Amino acid sequence: MKIHNACLGLMLSVLALPALGQIRNVEFDEFTLKNGLHVILHEDHSTPIVAVTVMYHVGSKNEDTTRTGMAHFFEHLLFEGSENIARGEYDSYVENAGGALNANTTQDRTFYYELLPSNQLELGLWLESERMLHAKIESIGIETQREVVKEEKRQRYDNQPYGQLLPTTMEAVYSEHPYRWTPIGSLDHLNAASDEEFMDFYKKFYVPNNAVLSIAGDIDPKQTKKWIKQYFEDIPRGADIERPSIQEPKRTVEYRDTVLGKDALPMIVQAYPIPAQGTPDYYAVEMLNKVLSGGESSRLNRRVVEEDQLALFCGAFSFGLEDPGVTLAFSMANMGVDPAEVEQAMNEEVNRMKRDLISNRELEKLKNQIESEFIQSNASMAGIAESLANYHMYFGDADLINTEIDRYLAVTKEDIRKAAQQHYNENSRVTLYFLQDPEASK
Amino acid sequence: MNSRNLSPIALLTLATLSLLGINNNTWAQVDRSKAPEPGPQPEIAIGDYTLHTLDNGLKLIVVENHRLPRISWNLTLDVDPPLEGDKSGTASFAGQLMKSGTEKRSKAQIDEAIDFIGARLSTSAQGAFASSLTKHADVALGLMADVVLGATFPEEELEKLRAQTLSNLAANETDPGSISSNLRRRVMYGPDHPYGDVDTEESISAITREDLQLYHETYFRPNVAYLVVVGDITPDDALAKVKELFGPMKWKSRPVPNPVIPVPMRPDGNQVVFAHVPGAVQSVLHLVHTVRLQPGHNDVVPVSVMNSILGGGAFSGRLMQNLREDKAFTYGARCNMSPDDLIGSFDAYANVRNEVTDSAVVEFLYEIKRITEEPVDAETVKNTITNMTGSFARSLERPETVARFALNIERYGLSKDYYRTYLERLAAVTPEDVQRVAQAYLRPEQLHITVAGNKGEVAASLARFDADGEIDFYDAFGRKASNLEAVPEGMTAADVIEAYYEARGGLARFEKLKSLVEIGEMQAGPEMVLEVKTQTVFGEGMHTEISMAGAVMMGQTVTPTFGVNNQQGTQLPMSVEELATYQTSLSSTEYAHLEDMGYEAQLLGIHPNRGNPVYIVEIRKDGSTTKELQFDAESGLLMQVNRAQKSPMGPLQITETFENYRDFEGLLFPTLQTQTANGQQMAFRMTDIQPNAKVDSSLFKK
Repeated sequence: MKIHNACLGLMLSVLALPALGQIRNVEFDEFTLKNGLHVILHEDHSTPIVAVTVMYHVGSKNEDTTRTGMAHFFEHLLFEGSENIARGEYDSYVENAGGALNANTTQDRTFYYELLPSNQLELGLWLESERMLHAKIESIGIETQREVVKEEKRQRYDNQPYGQLLPTTMEAVYSEHPYRWTPIGSLDHLNAASDEEFMDFYKKFYVPNNAVLSIAGDIDPKQTKKWIKQYFEDIPRGADIERPSIQEPKRTVEYRDTVLGKDALPMIVQAYPIPAQGTPDYYAVEMLNKVLSGGESSRLNRRVVEEDQLALFCGAFSFGLEDPGVTLAFSMANMGVDPAEVEQAMNEEVNRMKRDLISNRELEKLKNQIESEFIQSNASMAGIAESLANYHMYFGDADLINTEIDRYLAVTKEDIRKAAQQHYNENSRVTLYFLQDPEASK
Repeated sequence: MNSRNLSPIALLTLATLSLLGINNNTWAQVDRSKAPEPGPQPEIAIGDYTLHTLDNGLKLIVVENHRLPRISWNLTLDVDPPLEGDKSGTASFAGQLMKSGTEKRSKAQIDEAIDFIGARLSTSAQGAFASSLTKHADVALGLMADVVLGATFPEEELEKLRAQTLSNLAANETDPGSISSNLRRRVMYGPDHPYGDVDTEESISAITREDLQLYHETYFRPNVAYLVVVGDITPDDALAKVKELFGPMKWKSRPVPNPVIPVPMRPDGNQVVFAHVPGAVQSVLHLVHTVRLQPGHNDVVPVSVMNSILGGGAFSGRLMQNLREDKAFTYGARCNMSPDDLIGSFDAYANVRNEVTDSAVVEFLYEIKRITEEPVDAETVKNTITNMTGSFARSLERPETVARFALNIERYGLSKDYYRTYLERLAAVTPEDVQRVAQAYLRPEQLHITVAGNKGEVAASLARFDADGEIDFYDAFGRKASNLEAVPEGMTAADVIEAYYEARGGLARFEKLKSLVEIGEMQAGPEMVLEVKTQTVFGEGMHTEISMAGAVMMGQTVTPTFGVNNQQGTQLPMSVEELATYQTSLSSTEYAHLEDMGYEAQLLGIHPNRGNPVYIVEIRKDGSTTKELQFDAESGLLMQVNRAQKSPMGPLQITETFENYRDFEGLLFPTLQTQTANGQQMAFRMTDIQPNAKVDSSLFKK
């Protein structure tokens, strides 16, 4: 009887897995040039556009402790031009060709991209190769971009409601690891850096052996490869990059603090250290967060927002990083509600996850959510190019664009409970209350 | 190439050629010194759509796209938003709460059902949206139909949303973005236009369940609705599903109100409006005005080119180049001129640091004027067109774009090939077109210059941009605010007045003053100079004469008991009210003993007056205001007096100013005094002031 039931259960759970065959596979070609530049190409003729992107394996975690903000600053500096591109012309080339461009920096990498009509692919390759080979790193560009970055910091952090939340939290969580500062860094450090230091940073990190060139769209692979060789092959390889290997010491006692600011409603933030992205436990943590926070039927929303009506919103998401990152569970309390009450409700839901297994139906819900996200994530050329580059840079396996979903779908109910028990511990977390300074409304 | 098979001469030639950098290998040398040329222009194809109108008036548009196994359903109501006034927020609540309970399902059940299939469902005042993988489409569409047609607006859910919204409003009270948005809406459209509605604590608290039901029943009708379906489905299948769930048996058509909405007026002259953001380090600056331009109008395409040149695109707009790349005032400066069915708008904006707010306004005004005055060069227009062409092409990556095109064609009555011919019409735009539409639609002299920022640090510097020189202050919810800064704790009118006399030489010395003679002149015309002489014996009387070339033209005598105006010999006795206003002039310390004379003085606050902060002191007698005094906050001196005076023509608003204080025997007196009433100003330049001079008392006899 029991064996029969077990087989039935096994069969049912197998049937519950989505038919992955019907999901479109993202096909791509990849190779590495002699100078270490890794190239990935994805062909798609649906729309006559192409995304030309370069990812450099440098982020805020590669910075010196007295020179934070350099990596992000470079993201701005690399729009200033090159030996063959005059100041202010980089943007014009792209926009006058009917394209769009931008860049972004995280703790671990800097990503540049151009979206162009497909007949302008060569332009994109020229532009990115110019950046890599001999970008202009000089005083006037540095001066101008210093001011722009100052404004960015004001707009994004200083003048934004709860703008200080993330920098404050990261600083509290990490005592040794560079993740303790956020990519925008310190304006004082940027002001103190000399022109030579900027040049050194460029020579160290902006080299082909530290980069991935990822192209997706309406391309002729043969012609594309030819151009890539012409524009990138002669760029000299740089020295091998030493990556920081700082281990953040394990926290054994909870850190709690109250931070005063201008914003009216209390914000409760709890940071739990989690394993690095790509590790087996990481996927269980992601699924755990989905149960807690995925959609309006999720645990935290239902309990804290809908039923107890303690908060405007309540959720949890993982800050997945190359080195061990954090899960942030956060909530904005309703007017007049004691933040301690909100925290208690959040803690109770997390404890529930440690105690009880989720139901089969909940697990099926998670898998449906994962499947839906996965299918819709490969909709744009820019998105595909970035995913391919990410997967290669962090895991050395671009095909994860097709297979990473399996790692999510393999997570069991027991894995989820175990992840909560191992990683969502009171003793290893940081809890911050962000409250309004009574002097603030002036 | 295998060198063993080549003759020595061939080898040598090859080697030489290689040294010279010329070879006949498969790759040619690339010339980095200039940008490569583009390849041939790719063809841009726009997908098709089908249109079917159901018997109840519902219009179904289907865009078939099988690239990904997903389908989205987008319901849009083609209605003008109603004016909500003191129940602002009703439509938004109705929209959100549709999803919070139906006849068949509770909110928890709806949320669970949607999350279970990994789908999305949202509802709003103007429609609803659902999307899911193809295999879950029937469930997703069924849920959407349930919330659109069967919403019950449970009381409990209304109260939950109300509590959350009130919390949100409290949070937004310090959010520069929300403050700016409320400010702009209110000043651009005013309180009588639906676009000018602003949610406040009062309005949110006033919304009832009946209001929500009424909104839903009134506006969610198939005869004003479009349902746009995009994705992995054929038009026939879509029609079958929609007929079953949204057809005439399930959803009845009914006329929808369509009231006439007044067109908001633009201001005469630029108006600076300011809302304080506590602790702000940046100003959220938006220069705005309304624009009469409807979607589909022939000018829409050249306007979009003009807009792109001025402030569109990512980095190359003039505003961005000026304010960010050149002056580094900001992280981003852009503008938007948007056509709209009801009333369009123009909005040029940037977040700039406090100290450069005024300089940023200068640059905005410069760029807005410049594009109307100077023709744009042909190359810039050409490049802009190429940029917009590329943007159009890139937008086609998403099937939702084609859906949006279809919806626009149907609801705005555009021609069926509007988007197919879009690129042609875009390519035909010339510099003359750009200048013409700039002049036709931009209003650099009718802007609201709206600022959400740090009042103390920024406001004063902006007065010069206002046509009246006066900034209007608003609170976080678009309501006019007191423009007075709070005064230091404990400071009173008496303190300000005492400081005034101290600045002039000391209250004690003024107390001892027995008489005063003031001689001055007034320019009444190019050749006409009038002499003025005022003689005062404090406590007894004041006598003023205005003469021309020695002949007395006008005079005035005031004593504690009577007053008389003298016009070339004719005596006109003063009314009791008029006499009262002059009484304080009979005291040498006219403001130091107000209480004894039955007056009250109250310190109202600090006001920036033409760039200088002043203390405002209000003088009242028997409950009504007699005067408003303005003392310079830095020097303490009296700078301005505002008062109302009855006259045969009705109440006159009179403003007196006092400037150029100079020392006369150790006491300071203003040597430049002006008096403005009825738009006319008289300025008196005092040439001599004699404290304690001899005065003939017979001047004060009746």
